[in-house]
Parts: sequence; structure tokens; C-alpha cells
Amino acid sequence: MRLKSTERAPDEQKRNFLKIMGTLIIGVGMVGTLRSVVQYIIPPSTQAETSFPVLTLVLANGNPIHTSDLIVNNSATVTFDYPLQGEPNFLLRLGDSGNTDVKIPPSKVSIPSTGGSYQSPGGVGPYGSVVAASAICEHLGCVPPEIKFFPPSSSTTPGKIHCSCHGSTYDPYSGFSVVTGPTRIPLPSLVLSYDSTQDTYAATMMVGPTLYGHTSDLSGGNAITTKGTVVSTT
Amino acid sequence: MAKQNLLEKVMNEPQPLPRKVPDYMRKKGGIWYWTGAILMITFLYESLTGLILLFYYQPAHPYSSTGTILAMPYGTVLLTTHLYAAYIMIAFLYIHLLRNLFVGAYKKPRQMQWLTGILLLLVTIGVVYFGYSMSGDVLSADATDVGRGIAAGAPLIGSYLRSIFFGSGTSLSLFMRLEGWHIVLAGVILAMFALHFYLAEYNTIMPSPKHAEFKVPAVDNDDPSYKPWYPYNLLYMGQVSFFTLAMIFIIPSVLAILPNVPVLFSPFPQVSVSSPLASSVPAYPPWILLFIYKELDFGISSIIGPFWASLIFIGLPVGYLLFIPYLDRNDSLKLSRRKAVLYTGILGLFYYIGLSVWGAMEPGVPVSNLVGFLFFAVPMLVVIPVSLYMIKKVEAAKSNLGNNLWKLYSILPVIGFLAILVGITSYMFLDGLSYYDLAALIFVLVLLAISSLYAYGWIYGIKENTKNIKMSERGHLVFGGIYGFLAIVIFTMISDIPPTKVEYQALYGIGIGLLFVLGGAFTKLYRSYAYHEG
Repeated sequence: MRLKSTERAPDEQKRNFLKIMGTLIIGVGMVGTLRSVVQYIIPPSTQAETSFPVLTLVLANGNPIHTSDLIVNNSATVTFDYPLQGEPNFLLRLGDSGNTDVKIPPSKVSIPSTGGSYQSPGGVGPYGSVVAASAICEHLGCVPPEIKFFPPSSSTTPGKIHCSCHGSTYDPYSGFSVVTGPTRIPLPSLVLSYDSTQDTYAATMMVGPTLYGHTSDLSGGNAITTKGTVVSTT
Repeated sequence: MAKQNLLEKVMNEPQPLPRKVPDYMRKKGGIWYWTGAILMITFLYESLTGLILLFYYQPAHPYSSTGTILAMPYGTVLLTTHLYAAYIMIAFLYIHLLRNLFVGAYKKPRQMQWLTGILLLLVTIGVVYFGYSMSGDVLSADATDVGRGIAAGAPLIGSYLRSIFFGSGTSLSLFMRLEGWHIVLAGVILAMFALHFYLAEYNTIMPSPKHAEFKVPAVDNDDPSYKPWYPYNLLYMGQVSFFTLAMIFIIPSVLAILPNVPVLFSPFPQVSVSSPLASSVPAYPPWILLFIYKELDFGISSIIGPFWASLIFIGLPVGYLLFIPYLDRNDSLKLSRRKAVLYTGILGLFYYIGLSVWGAMEPGVPVSNLVGFLFFAVPMLVVIPVSLYMIKKVEAAKSNLGNNLWKLYSILPVIGFLAILVGITSYMFLDGLSYYDLAALIFVLVLLAISSLYAYGWIYGIKENTKNIKMSERGHLVFGGIYGFLAIVIFTMISDIPPTKVEYQALYGIGIGLLFVLGGAFTKLYRSYAYHEG
């Protein structure tokens, strides 16, 4: 005898068909909704500058910095922001263990993480001894005072940049290349230009790897709006 | 047994919580038991979207950051549905309130539940006020200016009230407070709602007055035959949620496409205060506050000042509602024994709608005391005899309101509206021949078809006449398959529409709304197939 549909137990396969249809409808509804939420919460990228700004290095009083303001093998940390606000860079006048200026030639710097390499800019100034590089450790982003320049103390202990967060060490004498890990990326070098008639320095661009924590060097921050970038010593 | 207060009862006689849900709540007409659930869903939607909106809102730049939100992918869907979910929440608050007023749900043992409900209404209106003021547009400026004036008019503490709610006077301080109060009061809603809901569980659902033989206390005696919560009630809740979400998505998205939507119902912020067009925007509050706006035009309001006028026009009805459980103490649930409640309920509704429409038509036009008096007096003379007559008819239980023509009349505007939409979109399609116009046309046609079918069934009472004829098993499967197919079609279409233009985002919103309609319809179908419910 054929039972009415309301009295029969629903067939398992037909029921499963409906269950799949239900899951499908609710599934596409959820995917469709969540997709828009995800697309909405991705922040628009903020390109602060279209190209690298050229910024004169100045003292806190606004006067340009001169070679005599820089101390050879200064154990204090001298930094300035570039290319955007709040992105510190080391400004170093390098010397040997007797505190005599050392000319820093451009050198080929290898990037262990990618296997690639690039040319570091080399020193500028009357003795070719002034160099600059990002002071944001490429390992996990520590900044001064955690990352610091240690001047050479004898002819057998050359000067190094060492980050006390996790122990990464860089060599400022050869393009801020990696000496010891855990970092596998050298510090991005800053290209300085030196005006020998005025004895002033300007930051012109960054070379090497992208700054730590950025998708590009010119996004993810606010542009420096003052005329020059202020050099501060701590 | 000695008389115990509520706290003693709750603490000393724990009830079996949570309860089973009575089966009659899922039968036809049972939706009236779920107006509170719809409110909870809108509140959850508001909380989620509100938190997501926080990612871009900046009190320092209220208007431009609102613009940023609108410019983000799907930002218009997010902001317009956030606004309209609030409108829908307020609308259902009134429906929930009136329903419970007319069935006498405020009576013993639910007095506390009623009181928390009225307070929830006030807090919710507060949240809406602070929320729509956050956009920094010209309406927001008007609203905060008026709010400042009303707050400052309070005796003794006026200047404190003003600075507590509106800050020290700087723009940043104002918008930080608006944002702060918007969120803080939403938290208050959550806490009060938890209490309200707990009391609802504690006091049990109120069965229909007829079921309770029109006597208090109308409580549901936990019947062991009630089906378990899972899966019966979970599915029903899903169905209600899907239809509510569909409403939240579809209404503002349709309004976003339509040209020349009046300011009151526009889902978008208006121009900024500094714009030269600002003077062309009427100084409206949102529709839920229009009655307060109109009340300030009355002659008497200018004499007593805006603070006292608002206090009277809000305070009188709210005070009445707060005290109603203690004013109407008899143990009958019959409307004929609660005539005063019925009159005041209908009159209150009339005054509310009347003042709102008046405020929309003649914003800021002064009203003389005589006209004001007539506005309040004439309806009283009409409502009381008509209500008396209706009570007699309804309680005689003979009346099913005659033929069903009134249903036809009430559904006609909706159908007409949708038909106009079809016209506009098909014109756009013929004119532009773009893929997206075709998508719009299909969406609107689907909407029209669903609502026409529903209206047809509603007017001609198919369900009553065919009570014993259930859909066949094959019918269920075929419809389930069709719903699944439609879901994939709609999903494909909305996935293909880029969120680059407001119109495209609105299409996405309608598409998501239709997916929720399908979800709700499918849940209903599945309940009928697997559990023979609904």
C-alpha cells in the first residue's frame, strides 16, 4: 500500500540531496558576504611619495650639517629619518682603530635570503668616509638603541653594527652586508650626495633590499614635509 | 506562600532554563512570537557591521572619513545596510511594543520584562541618534545643534548635560563623544537585552490570550510533548534570520539605485555643512525622530522651551508605558476589559505617525495652539467609538474582517513600486544594453515574482484552502534543486560585478539579499520536507 508522503520516512538519498542543496545555498551566501568584508577591510595602499625626495641633512637648528659636525667612529648613535617620517638611518663617519678616516669604496653586497646582490654606494665627504644606511634591523625591525654601531677598538676587532634584539651583525665598512645571522638581509644603503663647495650632505635615495616592514620604500608612512631631514645624536 | 519579589523568586526557585520552545510558535501565524528574535538579529547585524565600520571612521575627519568608507570596495553596501538595519530594528521595536501592548503581555508576571523593554526602546533611539550624527553631514550638524539646545535647556544641570553628551565645543571633542556614546549605549543595549531575554525565558513565552482563557498569569506550562530545540527550532531561527537579513540587504540597495529618493529615506549621507548645496537640504532628523522635531513647532513649545517640550512629548508616552503594568492591574486579558489601553495605544500610534508625516511635509513651520489642540483632540473623538465597535466585532469572534479586499489594498503599493522598478531597469537595459543593467532587471523581476506570488497566496488564502494538501515529495526535491540552481546563478553574477560604482555595489547588495531569501525559503522547504513543519 502506498503511504501518503507525510507518513513515509523520508528517503535517505533524497534527503541528502536536499541537505547538499541547503549547504550550497548557505555556503555561497556566506562566501559572497565574507568576500566583500575582506575586500573592504584591506586598507588602500598609501603612496606617500612618487619618487625618492632629496633632503639635506640638517641640525636641529635648521643649519646644514658639515663634515666637522661628524665625529670619526662616534660611539653615540647619529640618525636621521629617510625616506619617510619615523624611519631612522645611521649616519656614520668611519675610521680605523686609530680614528683616522677610512675611504669606503662601493662594493658588491650579496643578499643571502634571495641569493641576489647589489652595488653599495660607498663613502662620501672629503675623505670618502661618510656612509648611511637604514637603522631598522632587517631581521625583525628593531631600531636604535637596540641596533647600534660599535666602533673598532683594535686592528683585530673591526667596527660593526650589532642588533641586541636577536644578535644580527652587519658590516658598515662593506656596504652594511650581513656578518652573522639571524638576519639574512643586509641593511638597505642610503645614497648620500656631498656638496664639496658648501660642505653639506643630502640623502637622495635608498638602494638594496626594501625597508623592513614595507611593501615599497615610499609607501606605508607619512612624507617628510620639512625642508631637510634632522640629524639627531643620542 | 508569602509574596516574593522577583529577585527572591529568581534566586530561590531556579527555573529549568533554557526552555523548550512551544510547537505552536512555529505554526502558521507563529511569527508574532518572534518579533523579539527579529530584533535580536538586527542588533547582531548592527554590532558586526558597526565594528567593521570602525576600521575607517575618524572622529577628527567625520565627513571625509565617511566618504572614505563609501569609497572602499562594498563600503556603500556596508554603510547603507548599517543605516537601514537600524531603521528596521526601530520599526520592529514598535511592532514588538504594540503587539505586546495589545495582547497584554505587560501584565503579571511580566512587568519587569515590560519595563526593561521600554528602557531598551529609549536606549535604542539614543544609539540611532548618536549614530546618524556621526557622519558629519548637514543633517548631522542640525541634529547635534538641536540636541545641544535641548540638553542645555535642562534646569541646573543643562550645561553639564550638554558637555557630557556633546563635548567641550570643538569638532573633535564632539565627534569623539558621538562615537563613544554610540558604542557605549550599544553595549548598554546588549546588557539590558541579556536581562530582557533572561526574563523572557524565566517567565516563559506568553501563549495567545485565548489559549490562556484571557486570564493572567498567562504562562506556558512546559508540555513534555514539545519537540526539542535542535533541530526544530534552530532551523526555524535560521529561517527567520535569513528573511530578516534579506530585508536588511534588499531595501537599502534598491533605494541606492532609485533616482530622487527623498532625503528622509536616502540611504546615503547628505552633503557636508560647508557645501553650497547644504541650504537645499531640509533640516530633517531621521524619520524615527520626526515627531520630536514637529513637536518643537507647536506654539506651546516656544513658550516652555525645547527641553520641557521634548520632555513632555517623549516623557508622557514613555511614562505612561512605564507605568502601564501598574495602572492596568486587573487580571483580564480581554481587550474589552482594557479599553483605555487600546484607545491610548491606537491614539499614540496615530499621533506618532501624524506628527512624523506633518514634520516631513512642513518642517519647521510653526503651529498655532488651536491647530495643535485640534490635532490631538479630533482623533480622540474618532478613535474611541471606532475602537469600541472593532472590539465588539473581534471579540464576537465572528469577524474575519469580511472579504480580503483590504489585504489587496495594502499590498498594491508594494507591487506597484516593484513594477515601476522593472520599468526603470528595463528602460536602462534597452538604453544602455550593459550587462549590469541586465543583472538589475533580472534581480528586480525575481523580486517582483516572489512578492506577487506571496501576495497572491496571502490575499486569496491559498494556505487555508489547501490546508490538507501538502507539497509532494517530488515537489520538495524539485524546488530544492531550483533554489540551489538559483543560488549558484546569483552567486556567479554578484561575484562578477566589480564594486567600482555605487550602482554595482547596490546590485551586489540585492544579490546577497536574494541569496538570503533563497536561504530562508529553502529552510522553510526543508522543515516541511524533513519534519512536516510549517
